[in-house]
Amino acid sequence: MIDWISFILVAVVSIGASAAIVALFAAGLRLLAVEGRRAIIRSGAYACFAVAALGVLFGIYLIIPVFHAG
Amino acid sequence: MDLTFIVVLVIVLAIFFDFTNGFHDTANAMATPIATGALRPRVAVTVAAVLNLVGAFLSTTVASTISGGIIHEGPGGVDITPAMIFAGLIGAVIWNLITWLRGLPSSSSHALFGGLIGAALVGAGTNSVDFGVLLSKVVIPAVLAPLVAGVAGFIATRLAYRITRRPVEKNHRTGFRVGQIFTSSMVALAHGTNDAQKTMGVITLALIAGGFLQTGSQPPVWVIVVCACAIAAGTYTGGWRIIQTMGGGITDIKATQGFAAEASTAATVLASSHLGFALSTTQVASGSIIGAGLGRRGGAIQWGTAGKIVIAWFITLPAAAAIGALCELVARLGNVGLIIDAVLGLAVILTIFIVSRRSPAEQSNALEVDVALNSVMTRQERRAAAKKRSDAILATRRQLSDESSLFGYGQQEEAR
Repeated sequence: MIDWISFILVAVVSIGASAAIVALFAAGLRLLAVEGRRAIIRSGAYACFAVAALGVLFGIYLIIPVFHAG
Repeated sequence: MDLTFIVVLVIVLAIFFDFTNGFHDTANAMATPIATGALRPRVAVTVAAVLNLVGAFLSTTVASTISGGIIHEGPGGVDITPAMIFAGLIGAVIWNLITWLRGLPSSSSHALFGGLIGAALVGAGTNSVDFGVLLSKVVIPAVLAPLVAGVAGFIATRLAYRITRRPVEKNHRTGFRVGQIFTSSMVALAHGTNDAQKTMGVITLALIAGGFLQTGSQPPVWVIVVCACAIAAGTYTGGWRIIQTMGGGITDIKATQGFAAEASTAATVLASSHLGFALSTTQVASGSIIGAGLGRRGGAIQWGTAGKIVIAWFITLPAAAAIGALCELVARLGNVGLIIDAVLGLAVILTIFIVSRRSPAEQSNALEVDVALNSVMTRQERRAAAKKRSDAILATRRQLSDESSLFGYGQQEEAR
Protein backbone atom coordinates (compact mmCIF):
# COMPACT_ATOMS: atom_id res chain seq x y z
CA MET A 1 0.00 0.00 0.00
CA ILE A 2 2.42 2.60 1.16
CA ASP A 3 5.80 2.35 -0.47
CA TRP A 4 7.85 2.77 2.70
CA ILE A 5 11.18 2.14 1.00
CA SER A 6 10.71 4.97 -1.45
CA PHE A 7 9.44 7.15 1.38
CA ILE A 8 12.58 6.53 3.43
CA LEU A 9 14.65 7.19 0.34
CA VAL A 10 12.85 10.50 -0.21
CA ALA A 11 13.27 11.44 3.45
CA VAL A 12 16.98 10.64 3.53
CA VAL A 13 17.71 12.35 0.21
CA SER A 14 15.78 15.50 1.03
CA ILE A 15 17.25 15.89 4.51
CA GLY A 16 20.74 15.15 3.22
CA ALA A 17 20.50 17.42 0.20
CA SER A 18 19.13 20.39 2.10
CA ALA A 19 21.70 19.96 4.85
CA ALA A 20 24.49 19.77 2.28
CA ILE A 21 23.44 22.86 0.31
CA VAL A 22 22.85 24.93 3.42
CA ALA A 23 26.11 23.79 5.01
CA LEU A 24 28.07 24.68 1.88
CA PHE A 25 26.53 28.12 1.58
CA ALA A 26 26.99 28.78 5.29
CA ALA A 27 30.60 27.64 5.12
CA GLY A 28 31.17 30.04 2.24
CA LEU A 29 29.71 32.91 4.22
CA ARG A 30 31.77 31.96 7.27
CA LEU A 31 34.98 31.90 5.24
CA LEU A 32 34.19 35.30 3.74
CA ALA A 33 33.84 36.63 7.27
CA VAL A 34 37.42 35.67 8.19
CA GLU A 35 39.63 38.69 8.83
CA GLY A 36 42.51 39.58 6.55
CA ARG A 37 40.76 37.97 3.60
CA ARG A 38 43.75 35.97 2.48
CA ALA A 39 43.53 34.74 -1.09
CA ILE A 40 43.35 31.08 -0.17
CA ILE A 41 40.51 31.57 2.27
CA ARG A 42 38.60 33.65 -0.21
CA SER A 43 38.99 31.11 -2.95
CA GLY A 44 37.82 28.47 -0.48
CA ALA A 45 34.69 30.55 0.10
CA TYR A 46 34.08 30.90 -3.61
CA ALA A 47 34.61 27.17 -4.05
CA CYS A 48 31.87 26.55 -1.47
CA PHE A 49 29.51 28.88 -3.33
CA ALA A 50 30.38 27.22 -6.62
CA VAL A 51 29.58 23.73 -5.33
CA ALA A 52 26.30 25.04 -3.87
CA ALA A 53 25.52 26.60 -7.26
CA LEU A 54 26.17 23.22 -8.90
CA GLY A 55 23.58 21.76 -6.55
CA VAL A 56 21.11 24.41 -7.70
CA LEU A 57 21.91 23.67 -11.34
CA PHE A 58 21.29 19.99 -10.71
CA GLY A 59 17.95 20.97 -9.21
CA ILE A 60 17.05 22.92 -12.35
CA TYR A 61 18.10 19.91 -14.40
CA LEU A 62 15.68 17.81 -12.38
CA ILE A 63 12.86 20.35 -12.69
CA ILE A 64 12.99 20.60 -16.47
CA PRO A 65 11.65 17.35 -17.89
CA VAL A 66 13.18 17.77 -21.34
CA PHE A 67 16.63 17.01 -19.92
CA HIS A 68 15.95 13.63 -18.43
CA ALA A 69 12.54 12.27 -19.44
CA GLY A 70 13.56 12.10 -23.09
CA MET B 1 -24.64 21.80 -28.29
CA ASP B 2 -25.41 20.49 -24.84
CA LEU B 3 -21.98 19.01 -24.38
CA THR B 4 -20.25 22.05 -25.87
CA PHE B 5 -21.93 24.22 -23.30
CA ILE B 6 -20.66 22.08 -20.41
CA VAL B 7 -17.16 21.87 -21.85
CA VAL B 8 -17.00 25.66 -22.19
CA LEU B 9 -18.11 26.02 -18.57
CA VAL B 10 -15.48 23.51 -17.46
CA ILE B 11 -12.74 25.31 -19.35
CA VAL B 12 -13.63 28.72 -17.93
CA LEU B 13 -13.80 27.31 -14.41
CA ALA B 14 -10.57 25.34 -14.84
CA ILE B 15 -8.76 28.50 -15.88
CA PHE B 16 -10.12 30.27 -12.83
CA PHE B 17 -8.99 27.34 -10.67
CA ASP B 18 -5.53 27.71 -12.19
CA PHE B 19 -5.59 31.38 -11.21
CA THR B 20 -6.55 30.62 -7.59
CA ASN B 21 -3.89 27.91 -7.54
CA GLY B 22 -1.33 30.55 -8.52
CA PHE B 23 -2.15 33.07 -5.83
CA HIS B 24 -2.67 30.38 -3.24
CA ASP B 25 0.82 29.06 -3.76
CA THR B 26 2.83 32.25 -4.19
CA ALA B 27 3.47 32.02 -0.47
CA ASN B 28 5.23 28.66 -0.72
CA ALA B 29 8.11 30.23 -2.57
CA MET B 30 7.98 33.88 -1.71
CA ALA B 31 6.73 34.23 1.88
CA THR B 32 10.16 33.88 3.45
CA PRO B 33 12.18 36.21 1.18
CA ILE B 34 9.47 38.85 1.60
CA ALA B 35 9.46 38.40 5.38
CA THR B 36 13.22 38.72 5.69
CA GLY B 37 13.46 41.60 3.24
CA ALA B 38 15.54 39.65 0.72
CA LEU B 39 13.11 40.70 -2.00
CA ARG B 40 10.60 43.50 -2.01
CA PRO B 41 7.04 42.13 -2.18
CA ARG B 42 6.30 43.36 -5.71
CA VAL B 43 9.64 42.11 -7.00
CA ALA B 44 9.13 38.76 -5.30
CA VAL B 45 5.71 38.11 -6.81
CA THR B 46 6.94 39.26 -10.23
CA VAL B 47 9.86 36.83 -10.08
CA ALA B 48 7.53 34.05 -8.97
CA ALA B 49 5.05 34.86 -11.74
CA VAL B 50 7.73 34.83 -14.45
CA LEU B 51 9.15 31.55 -13.17
CA ASN B 52 5.68 30.01 -13.02
CA LEU B 53 5.06 31.10 -16.61
CA VAL B 54 8.37 29.63 -17.74
CA GLY B 55 7.77 26.47 -15.72
CA ALA B 56 4.33 25.97 -17.26
CA PHE B 57 5.85 25.94 -20.74
CA LEU B 58 8.66 23.60 -19.71
CA SER B 59 6.43 20.75 -18.67
CA THR B 60 3.33 20.10 -20.74
CA THR B 61 3.01 16.35 -20.62
CA VAL B 62 -0.30 15.73 -18.92
CA ALA B 63 -1.38 12.64 -17.06
CA SER B 64 -3.97 10.43 -18.74
CA THR B 65 -6.08 10.33 -15.59
CA ILE B 66 -7.38 13.33 -13.76
CA SER B 67 -7.25 11.91 -10.26
CA GLY B 68 -4.17 9.71 -10.49
CA GLY B 69 -6.06 6.52 -9.77
CA ILE B 70 -8.16 7.69 -6.82
CA ILE B 71 -11.28 7.48 -8.94
CA HIS B 72 -11.73 4.39 -11.10
CA GLU B 73 -11.61 6.13 -14.45
CA GLY B 74 -11.60 5.00 -18.03
CA PRO B 75 -12.27 1.51 -19.37
CA GLY B 76 -13.75 -0.82 -16.78
CA GLY B 77 -14.38 2.04 -14.40
CA VAL B 78 -16.76 4.95 -14.24
CA ASP B 79 -16.98 7.67 -16.83
CA ILE B 80 -16.00 11.02 -15.46
CA THR B 81 -18.46 13.27 -17.23
CA PRO B 82 -17.71 16.94 -17.91
CA ALA B 83 -20.56 17.75 -15.51
CA MET B 84 -18.71 15.92 -12.73
CA ILE B 85 -15.50 17.76 -13.54
CA PHE B 86 -17.46 20.99 -13.42
CA ALA B 87 -18.96 20.21 -10.00
CA GLY B 88 -15.57 19.10 -8.68
CA LEU B 89 -13.93 22.30 -9.92
CA ILE B 90 -16.54 24.45 -8.19
CA GLY B 91 -15.77 22.63 -4.94
CA ALA B 92 -12.03 23.11 -5.42
CA VAL B 93 -12.29 26.81 -6.33
CA ILE B 94 -14.64 27.68 -3.46
CA TRP B 95 -12.53 25.83 -0.91
CA ASN B 96 -9.37 27.49 -2.22
CA LEU B 97 -11.00 30.89 -1.80
CA ILE B 98 -12.27 30.12 1.70
CA THR B 99 -8.82 29.06 2.91
CA TRP B 100 -7.30 32.10 1.23
CA LEU B 101 -9.76 34.36 3.04
CA ARG B 102 -8.61 32.85 6.32
CA GLY B 103 -4.98 33.10 5.20
CA LEU B 104 -4.42 29.36 5.43
CA PRO B 105 -2.00 27.60 3.10
CA SER B 106 -3.78 24.46 1.88
CA SER B 107 -3.01 22.19 -1.00
CA SER B 108 -4.76 23.13 -4.25
CA SER B 109 -4.38 19.63 -5.63
CA HIS B 110 -6.06 18.16 -2.58
CA ALA B 111 -8.93 20.59 -3.13
CA LEU B 112 -9.17 19.43 -6.74
CA PHE B 113 -9.08 15.75 -5.79
CA GLY B 114 -11.63 16.40 -3.06
CA GLY B 115 -14.06 18.16 -5.36
CA LEU B 116 -13.79 15.40 -7.95
CA ILE B 117 -14.21 12.66 -5.35
CA GLY B 118 -17.33 14.35 -4.01
CA ALA B 119 -18.77 14.70 -7.48
CA ALA B 120 -17.90 11.10 -8.36
CA LEU B 121 -19.42 9.72 -5.15
CA VAL B 122 -22.72 11.39 -5.95
CA GLY B 123 -22.56 10.94 -9.71
CA ALA B 124 -21.31 7.36 -9.91
CA GLY B 125 -21.78 5.78 -6.50
CA THR B 126 -19.43 4.80 -3.69
CA ASN B 127 -17.71 2.14 -5.80
CA SER B 128 -16.18 4.81 -7.99
CA VAL B 129 -13.61 5.85 -5.41
CA ASP B 130 -10.64 3.70 -4.47
CA PHE B 131 -10.21 4.48 -0.78
CA GLY B 132 -6.99 2.51 -0.51
CA VAL B 133 -5.35 4.72 -3.12
CA LEU B 134 -6.87 7.75 -1.43
CA LEU B 135 -5.23 6.75 1.84
CA SER B 136 -1.84 6.00 0.35
CA LYS B 137 -1.72 8.93 -2.07
CA VAL B 138 -3.31 11.72 -0.06
CA VAL B 139 -3.85 11.04 3.62
CA ILE B 140 -0.57 9.42 4.64
CA PRO B 141 1.64 11.75 2.53
CA ALA B 142 -0.16 14.66 4.21
CA VAL B 143 1.17 13.41 7.54
CA LEU B 144 4.64 12.56 6.27
CA ALA B 145 5.34 15.65 4.13
CA PRO B 146 5.54 18.19 6.96
CA LEU B 147 7.49 15.70 9.07
CA VAL B 148 10.21 15.16 6.47
CA ALA B 149 10.35 18.84 5.56
CA GLY B 150 10.28 19.85 9.21
CA VAL B 151 13.23 17.64 10.07
CA ALA B 152 15.12 18.85 6.98
CA GLY B 153 14.40 22.49 7.82
CA PHE B 154 15.36 22.00 11.46
CA ILE B 155 18.68 20.32 10.68
CA ALA B 156 19.53 22.82 7.93
CA THR B 157 18.78 25.78 10.20
CA ARG B 158 20.82 24.33 13.05
CA LEU B 159 23.73 23.71 10.69
CA ALA B 160 23.55 27.18 9.20
CA TYR B 161 23.60 28.87 12.60
CA ARG B 162 26.30 26.56 13.91
CA ILE B 163 28.61 27.14 10.94
CA THR B 164 28.22 30.91 10.82
CA ARG B 165 28.41 31.31 14.60
CA ARG B 166 30.83 34.02 15.71
CA PRO B 167 30.36 34.89 19.33
CA VAL B 168 32.42 38.10 19.26
CA GLU B 169 32.85 39.46 15.75
CA LYS B 170 30.20 40.36 13.26
CA ASN B 171 28.73 37.35 11.54
CA HIS B 172 27.85 37.62 7.89
CA ARG B 173 24.40 36.16 8.02
CA THR B 174 22.91 38.86 5.82
CA GLY B 175 24.57 36.92 2.99
CA PHE B 176 21.82 34.33 3.38
CA ARG B 177 19.44 36.84 1.83
CA VAL B 178 21.24 36.44 -1.49
CA GLY B 179 20.96 32.68 -1.18
CA GLN B 180 17.26 33.00 -0.41
CA ILE B 181 16.61 34.55 -3.81
CA PHE B 182 17.95 31.42 -5.51
CA THR B 183 16.28 28.82 -3.31
CA SER B 184 12.91 30.58 -3.49
CA SER B 185 13.18 30.86 -7.26
CA MET B 186 13.75 27.12 -7.42
CA VAL B 187 10.56 26.50 -5.48
CA ALA B 188 8.62 28.85 -7.78
CA LEU B 189 9.94 27.13 -10.90
CA ALA B 190 9.13 23.69 -9.54
CA HIS B 191 5.63 24.90 -8.75
CA GLY B 192 5.15 26.15 -12.31
CA THR B 193 6.18 22.84 -13.83
CA ASN B 194 3.93 20.85 -11.46
CA ASP B 195 0.75 22.78 -11.06
CA ALA B 196 -0.02 24.49 -14.37
CA GLN B 197 0.13 21.09 -15.98
CA LYS B 198 -2.61 19.80 -13.66
CA THR B 199 -5.09 22.30 -15.08
CA MET B 200 -3.93 21.53 -18.60
CA GLY B 201 -4.79 17.92 -17.82
CA VAL B 202 -8.28 18.84 -16.60
CA ILE B 203 -9.04 20.91 -19.70
CA THR B 204 -7.60 18.29 -22.04
CA LEU B 205 -9.65 15.55 -20.43
CA ALA B 206 -12.78 17.69 -20.66
CA LEU B 207 -12.08 18.26 -24.36
CA ILE B 208 -11.57 14.53 -24.86
CA ALA B 209 -14.79 13.73 -22.98
CA GLY B 210 -16.60 16.24 -25.20
CA GLY B 211 -15.24 14.59 -28.29
CA PHE B 212 -13.15 17.55 -29.42
CA LEU B 213 -9.86 15.73 -29.10
CA GLN B 214 -8.64 12.17 -29.68
CA THR B 215 -8.27 9.96 -26.60
CA GLY B 216 -4.75 10.18 -25.23
CA SER B 217 -3.83 13.37 -27.05
CA GLN B 218 -1.68 16.08 -25.54
CA PRO B 219 -3.02 19.56 -24.75
CA PRO B 220 -3.41 21.95 -27.71
CA VAL B 221 -1.17 25.02 -27.79
CA TRP B 222 -3.90 27.44 -26.75
CA VAL B 223 -4.56 25.40 -23.61
CA ILE B 224 -0.89 25.54 -22.65
CA VAL B 225 -0.69 29.29 -23.26
CA VAL B 226 -3.90 30.07 -21.38
CA CYS B 227 -2.99 27.88 -18.40
CA ALA B 228 0.51 29.31 -18.15
CA CYS B 229 -0.85 32.87 -18.26
CA ALA B 230 -3.57 32.12 -15.71
CA ILE B 231 -1.19 30.64 -13.16
CA ALA B 232 1.31 33.45 -13.69
CA ALA B 233 -1.40 36.10 -13.31
CA GLY B 234 -2.59 34.40 -10.13
CA THR B 235 0.92 34.30 -8.76
CA TYR B 236 1.47 37.96 -9.59
CA THR B 237 -1.73 38.94 -7.78
CA GLY B 238 -0.10 37.46 -4.71
CA GLY B 239 -2.12 35.88 -1.96
CA TRP B 240 -0.93 38.41 0.60
CA ARG B 241 -2.97 36.85 3.36
CA ILE B 242 -1.24 33.52 2.97
CA ILE B 243 2.12 35.23 2.53
CA GLN B 244 1.57 36.96 5.86
CA THR B 245 0.66 33.70 7.56
CA MET B 246 3.67 31.83 6.24
CA GLY B 247 6.13 34.73 6.44
CA GLY B 248 5.26 35.98 9.89
CA GLY B 249 2.31 34.11 11.33
CA ILE B 250 4.00 30.80 12.04
CA THR B 251 7.28 32.11 13.32
CA ASP B 252 9.32 35.29 13.26
CA ILE B 253 11.59 34.31 10.39
CA LYS B 254 15.19 35.48 9.87
CA ALA B 255 17.31 35.37 6.71
CA THR B 256 19.24 32.27 7.83
CA GLN B 257 16.03 30.40 8.60
CA GLY B 258 14.42 31.57 5.37
CA PHE B 259 17.33 30.25 3.36
CA ALA B 260 17.37 26.95 5.21
CA ALA B 261 13.58 26.57 4.93
CA GLU B 262 13.42 27.23 1.18
CA ALA B 263 16.45 25.02 0.54
CA SER B 264 14.76 22.14 2.32
CA THR B 265 11.45 22.85 0.58
CA ALA B 266 13.15 22.73 -2.81
CA ALA B 267 15.15 19.62 -1.92
CA THR B 268 12.12 17.77 -0.54
CA VAL B 269 9.83 18.69 -3.43
CA LEU B 270 12.42 17.64 -6.01
CA ALA B 271 13.33 14.44 -4.20
CA SER B 272 9.68 13.47 -3.77
CA SER B 273 8.74 14.11 -7.39
CA HIS B 274 11.74 12.21 -8.74
CA LEU B 275 11.91 9.28 -6.35
CA GLY B 276 8.25 8.42 -6.67
CA PHE B 277 6.67 9.48 -3.41
CA ALA B 278 4.63 12.55 -4.22
CA LEU B 279 4.34 15.16 -1.48
CA SER B 280 2.30 18.35 -1.55
CA THR B 281 4.40 21.49 -2.08
CA THR B 282 2.24 23.53 0.28
CA GLN B 283 2.61 21.05 3.10
CA VAL B 284 6.32 20.70 2.52
CA ALA B 285 6.79 24.48 2.58
CA SER B 286 4.81 24.93 5.80
CA GLY B 287 6.65 22.02 7.40
CA SER B 288 10.07 23.37 6.63
CA ILE B 289 9.13 26.82 7.91
CA ILE B 290 8.05 25.25 11.21
CA GLY B 291 11.28 23.24 11.28
CA ALA B 292 13.31 26.37 10.63
CA GLY B 293 11.42 28.16 13.39
CA LEU B 294 12.31 25.40 15.85
CA GLY B 295 15.92 25.43 14.70
CA ARG B 296 16.73 28.97 15.82
CA ARG B 297 17.39 29.37 19.49
CA GLY B 298 14.80 31.75 20.89
CA GLY B 299 12.60 31.32 17.84
CA ALA B 300 9.04 30.68 18.95
CA ILE B 301 6.41 28.89 16.89
CA GLN B 302 2.88 30.21 17.03
CA TRP B 303 1.36 26.80 17.61
CA GLY B 304 -2.13 28.25 17.39
CA THR B 305 -1.52 29.28 13.77
CA ALA B 306 0.34 26.06 12.99
CA GLY B 307 -2.56 24.06 14.41
CA LYS B 308 -5.07 25.92 12.26
CA ILE B 309 -2.96 25.19 9.18
CA VAL B 310 -2.82 21.49 10.02
CA ILE B 311 -6.58 21.37 10.55
CA ALA B 312 -7.03 23.09 7.18
CA TRP B 313 -4.94 20.38 5.51
CA PHE B 314 -7.08 17.63 6.88
CA ILE B 315 -10.43 19.17 6.12
CA THR B 316 -9.45 20.40 2.65
CA LEU B 317 -10.33 17.13 0.95
CA PRO B 318 -13.62 16.39 2.75
CA ALA B 319 -14.76 20.02 2.54
CA ALA B 320 -14.06 20.31 -1.18
CA ALA B 321 -15.71 16.90 -1.59
CA ALA B 322 -18.83 18.11 0.20
CA ILE B 323 -19.11 21.18 -2.03
CA GLY B 324 -18.39 19.09 -5.11
CA ALA B 325 -21.04 16.55 -4.11
CA LEU B 326 -23.60 19.27 -3.56
CA CYS B 327 -22.86 20.79 -6.97
CA GLU B 328 -23.07 17.40 -8.66
CA LEU B 329 -26.43 16.82 -6.99
CA VAL B 330 -27.73 20.05 -8.48
CA ALA B 331 -26.01 19.42 -11.81
CA ARG B 332 -27.94 16.19 -12.24
CA LEU B 333 -30.97 18.32 -13.09
CA GLY B 334 -29.39 18.82 -16.48
CA ASN B 335 -28.55 22.11 -18.11
CA VAL B 336 -30.72 24.03 -15.66
CA GLY B 337 -28.77 22.48 -12.81
CA LEU B 338 -25.48 23.47 -14.38
CA ILE B 339 -26.65 27.04 -14.75
CA ILE B 340 -27.84 27.06 -11.13
CA ASP B 341 -24.42 25.71 -10.12
CA ALA B 342 -22.62 28.34 -12.14
CA VAL B 343 -24.73 31.18 -10.75
CA LEU B 344 -24.44 29.96 -7.15
CA GLY B 345 -20.70 29.41 -7.54
CA LEU B 346 -20.26 32.88 -8.95
CA ALA B 347 -22.32 34.33 -6.09
CA VAL B 348 -20.15 32.59 -3.48
CA ILE B 349 -16.95 33.73 -5.21
CA LEU B 350 -18.19 37.32 -5.33
CA THR B 351 -19.26 37.20 -1.69
CA ILE B 352 -15.84 35.95 -0.62
CA PHE B 353 -14.23 38.69 -2.66
CA ILE B 354 -16.42 41.38 -1.07
CA VAL B 355 -15.74 40.04 2.43
CA SER B 356 -12.02 40.07 1.68
CA ARG B 357 -12.23 43.74 0.72
CA ARG B 358 -13.64 44.59 4.13
CA SER B 359 -10.41 43.72 5.87
CA PRO B 360 -7.76 44.66 3.37
CA ALA B 361 -4.99 42.58 4.89
CA GLU B 362 -3.46 42.13 1.50
CA GLN B 363 -1.62 45.33 0.89
CA SER B 364 1.88 44.78 -0.30
CA ASN B 365 2.77 48.20 1.08
CA ALA B 366 1.62 47.36 4.58
CA LEU B 367 3.71 44.23 4.39
CA GLU B 368 6.72 46.20 3.31
CA VAL B 369 6.39 48.53 6.30
CA ASP B 370 6.20 45.52 8.56
CA VAL B 371 9.37 44.15 7.06
CA ALA B 372 11.20 47.44 7.47
CA LEU B 373 10.17 47.56 11.10
CA ASN B 374 11.06 43.92 11.53
CA SER B 375 14.69 44.57 10.78
CA VAL B 376 15.38 47.22 13.40
CA MET B 377 12.94 46.76 16.26
CA THR B 378 12.55 44.31 19.06
CA ARG B 379 9.35 42.39 19.26
CA GLN B 380 7.91 44.62 21.95
CA GLU B 381 8.67 47.79 20.01
CA ARG B 382 7.17 46.24 16.93
CA ARG B 383 3.98 45.41 18.76
CA ALA B 384 3.76 48.92 20.13
CA ALA B 385 4.33 50.36 16.67
CA ALA B 386 1.69 48.13 15.15
CA LYS B 387 -0.78 49.18 17.82
CA LYS B 388 0.04 52.83 17.29
CA ARG B 389 -0.44 52.47 13.56
CA SER B 390 -3.74 50.69 13.87
CA ASP B 391 -4.92 53.30 16.37
CA ALA B 392 -4.00 56.03 13.93
CA ILE B 393 -5.85 54.29 11.11
CA LEU B 394 -8.87 53.81 13.34
CA ALA B 395 -8.85 57.47 14.36
CA THR B 396 -8.66 58.61 10.74
CA ARG B 397 -11.47 56.28 9.80
CA ARG B 398 -13.62 57.59 12.62
CA GLN B 399 -12.97 61.14 11.53
CA LEU B 400 -13.76 60.43 7.91
CA SER B 401 -16.91 58.49 8.66
CA ASP B 402 -18.19 61.05 11.13
CA GLU B 403 -20.67 62.86 8.95
CA SER B 404 -22.45 64.82 11.65
CA SER B 405 -19.62 66.94 12.92
CA LEU B 406 -17.67 68.44 10.09
CA PHE B 407 -16.97 71.29 12.42
CA GLY B 408 -15.20 69.08 14.92
CA TYR B 409 -13.22 67.43 12.13
CA GLY B 410 -11.79 70.78 11.11
CA GLN B 411 -10.90 71.61 14.67
CA GLN B 412 -9.02 68.41 15.13
CA GLU B 413 -7.06 69.16 12.01
CA GLU B 414 -6.10 72.55 13.42
CA ALA B 415 -5.23 71.07 16.76
CA ARG B 416 -2.53 69.04 15.06
